[in-house]
Amino acid sequence: MPTIPFDSRLERREAALLAMWAFLVTEALFFGPLFFGYVHGRIANPAAFVSASHPMHVVLGTLNTALLMTSSLTMALAVRGAQQGKAIRLWLALTALLGLAFLGIKASEYWMESSEVAKASGAELTFYFLYFAMTGLHALHLTIGIGVVAWLWRHAARFGREYHAPVEVSGLYWHFVDVVWVFLYPMFYLLERYNA
Amino acid sequence: MTYVLTWLALMILLALTCASSYFPMGPWNTIANMGISCAKALLIAIFFMHLKNAGALLRIAAFTGLVFLAILFGLSWTDYATRQISPAPWQDPAA
Repeated sequence: MPTIPFDSRLERREAALLAMWAFLVTEALFFGPLFFGYVHGRIANPAAFVSASHPMHVVLGTLNTALLMTSSLTMALAVRGAQQGKAIRLWLALTALLGLAFLGIKASEYWMESSEVAKASGAELTFYFLYFAMTGLHALHLTIGIGVVAWLWRHAARFGREYHAPVEVSGLYWHFVDVVWVFLYPMFYLLERYNA
Repeated sequence: MTYVLTWLALMILLALTCASSYFPMGPWNTIANMGISCAKALLIAIFFMHLKNAGALLRIAAFTGLVFLAILFGLSWTDYATRQISPAPWQDPAA
């Protein structure tokens, strides 16, 4: 009898999911120092952080948050579709398109903010450093996610009731990137909006 | 259906957090924003990332991430809270 690494399919599936969760934990720790830097910077320079955040385009940021959360819904539907052996290409395509729309809006924001950044001084520059580092790192993760979803789309015919681990773990990654944005949005867009 | 309800809750929370930032509440603005963000992250983790139906193994793995993040935040903060930053004399030659 050949040796097999897992006793059952259930065990194999949980191993794949556990590996992804372990990776996501390291990802959270990877983002961690930037979050810490933000907390420290904001406590040390509250006024500069508020004035630096006011030129942010809050409408575009809110729209982007909505797009990303909707993409999480379509991704969750793709994962469930794969588990139930249904067609998932439409959900995957919608997920990737919503991700691309997010990146397009983010790029246009960067473009419009460049003149504000040129005028910034002192601790405002700390704010912009954190803003570009954190949203940039997030955008990089989203770009990778879109690539993964495109790969899933291409190989969609392979997945079904019996085999869908790649769709499941990609879904976990996609939702994690969404969670990161959920925290970035109020940190950079919603500082004392009533004074803006 | 659960997914659509989760999405709806996320959208309502987004509207809440955005609207709250237009009312002056002092430190409560930040607390409200972070509280709502945590609620949204929990919704995503529990329903979209299936922690609701996950076994103990996956739940512990997810929780470990939070614990380690908290430990490292705490350790870093003790440094910043108890030490003075004294720039070396050779820094910033322009000044």
